[in-house]
Amino acid sequence: MRLTLATATLKRHPARTLLAILGIAVAAALLLDMVMLATGMSESFRSLLLTRGYQLRIAPKGTLPFDSEATIDGATAIVSALRASPDIKAVSPILGATLSILAAPIPSSFALGLEPVVQGDYQIVHGLDMRETGDVVLDGVASRTLLDRLGAHIGDTITIASGLDAQLRTSARSRRVVLRGEGRFFYVPDETPVLAIPLTALRTMLGERYRDRMSLAMAESRASDSASVEGVRTWIERTQPRITAISTETAIRQVEERLSYFRQLAFVLGAISLGIGFLLVSTLVTLSVNERRGEIAVLRAIGTQTRGVLLQVMLEGAMLTSAGVILGLGLGVVSAQWLNGILRDFPGLPASFDFFVWSAKAAWRSLALLLVSGALAGLLPAWRAASIPVARALRDEAIG
Amino acid sequence: MTVVRSARMLVWLLLCSASALHAQQPVGDTLRSPTFGRRPPPVRGIAIDERLAVDLRLRVGDTIQIGATAGAPTERVHIAAVYERRADPAEVARREYRVRLHLDQLQSLLALDDRVDRFAMATRGGAKGGTTDSAVARINSVAFGFRAHPSRAVAVASSRTFRVVERFHRAIGIITVVASAVFLLCLLLLSVEERRRDIAALRLVGLSRTTVVRAIVLEAALVAILGSMIGAAIGWIASIVVNSHYQAVYRTPLTFAMLTPGIFAFATSLSLVLGVGAGALAAWRLVRTPPLALMGR
Repeated sequence: MRLTLATATLKRHPARTLLAILGIAVAAALLLDMVMLATGMSESFRSLLLTRGYQLRIAPKGTLPFDSEATIDGATAIVSALRASPDIKAVSPILGATLSILAAPIPSSFALGLEPVVQGDYQIVHGLDMRETGDVVLDGVASRTLLDRLGAHIGDTITIASGLDAQLRTSARSRRVVLRGEGRFFYVPDETPVLAIPLTALRTMLGERYRDRMSLAMAESRASDSASVEGVRTWIERTQPRITAISTETAIRQVEERLSYFRQLAFVLGAISLGIGFLLVSTLVTLSVNERRGEIAVLRAIGTQTRGVLLQVMLEGAMLTSAGVILGLGLGVVSAQWLNGILRDFPGLPASFDFFVWSAKAAWRSLALLLVSGALAGLLPAWRAASIPVARALRDEAIG
Repeated sequence: MTVVRSARMLVWLLLCSASALHAQQPVGDTLRSPTFGRRPPPVRGIAIDERLAVDLRLRVGDTIQIGATAGAPTERVHIAAVYERRADPAEVARREYRVRLHLDQLQSLLALDDRVDRFAMATRGGAKGGTTDSAVARINSVAFGFRAHPSRAVAVASSRTFRVVERFHRAIGIITVVASAVFLLCLLLLSVEERRRDIAALRLVGLSRTTVVRAIVLEAALVAILGSMIGAAIGWIASIVVNSHYQAVYRTPLTFAMLTPGIFAFATSLSLVLGVGAGALAAWRLVRTPPLALMGR
């Protein structure tokens, strides 16, 4: 009965109802997008960091991984000490550098020196993984961007070099690399050409100064709960004074700090969209109540309780909001894809990083917030409707 | 104070492209160099960024030790200048400290002999007449391990962050404009419809439909302009708050929010168009209804 009456009231002014639903839908879409933006970055970054299960990053003291060109000396001793710990399951040392590519369309490529068995930086998409061999020709795994820019294919051989002398046109060291596979590199931007080669080979390429260096190491704690990971992190920092150990949580905090602008923007725009939804519903329901003073007075006169009128008017607000929220859900998902496409163009971001990530929990929470806000928006006009002096309203209605 | 030992410090050493005073070891020093043969003072000056100066309480004239890595040989330098960072959106979220050194000084600290990351060149003909392009092509045809890029290509690449942020803001702007437009349209339609009895009375006392429509449209236009003015004032205050907050958070002189005459004109025009449109639509619907029906008879 109550539902039928509320539906009939909303249908009485279809244009007005439609416009209000559209307004709430846009507000709901904006709110959903902003919630996805506020929570998505952390979730995306967390899943990116935990892609291969490594919960800890070990970087030169005071730096973030690959945030500077600083490297860690004495890498072998540090990695051995970490591997000897019963709490650590695996350690993957990484050295990053730029290597020249001789007789190629591009002069250089970013190179990653990795231990193939424990590496957590890429996943083979086509071809085979590299092997730690001592052969004259090295094994390498290239990114799609590098293959495209070189015009090369899996199985091709390229020549990498370091220590170039531009005047004499010679290089201090050079090696031939056979591209055994194509890899999807998790932490490198799509537009950056990358070549992964064995760590020992890269160290040799870079010369004596890099003989025992690494840019970064990733470590996996045996126990995956945050307290245990934090315990391992503290132990590493205590025993290795020249490095900074960063847990996934710390890294997320630091990235959130850097990208706090987006979170705050999301908060402000989310609050504005909630406000718009609230104002729209309250305005519409207020007007509807003012128009139907006589009708409400009749309902009261024939015995409808104050609570009944209150619920009736609030139901109208809730129905409007619900319809808007359902429409807004679809609009929000579509617009989030659009906005994510724009932000993913940010230079230097890993290919698999997303700003807007769908999370059912966060989405329902935000839309429930809007529904509650819509219901509350109807509360004041509902109270006014329920408090109408019956006799006066009936007389006004009768005499116009 | 040993700067390199500070755990909090990440010094992003920048190659100073300004004219370098050459060190005792004449790295790259040639007869054509304007500073050929000049010897640097025993303690050389460096410039540090304001953020580093504040955090480590350094002042112009202080003497510090700098080095590439902890444990590596250091050099004693004095702080010759404290500089403010550029208002660059691409760097706004970066928290590391910066130091500017003489080119040969940094080469020596990093044991990089005669190496540079990049250098800038000016062609004789300027950017006109394809001089730059032909110079770039000639350099690249003989380049070994490096590549020349025209400045405009570098500018396009380095402004990508800025362009992405701009596109994102524009997209968010479109969504908020749509939301505001629907909201405004809805409110104006409702506010006109609420006055059905007044309009009926005006019609009954003999005012023509056109006069009623004109009056309502004028009223809607005034409301829209007044609303825009108030909105602009709120926006201006909000931009002050936003700028002071984010400039403090990111420690940058970058302007984050700005109310320009163009933005104000766009917002006011949009609001006016929507107001007039909504007013005209609502008024036309009402004047077509017989006055007695509007009265509820």
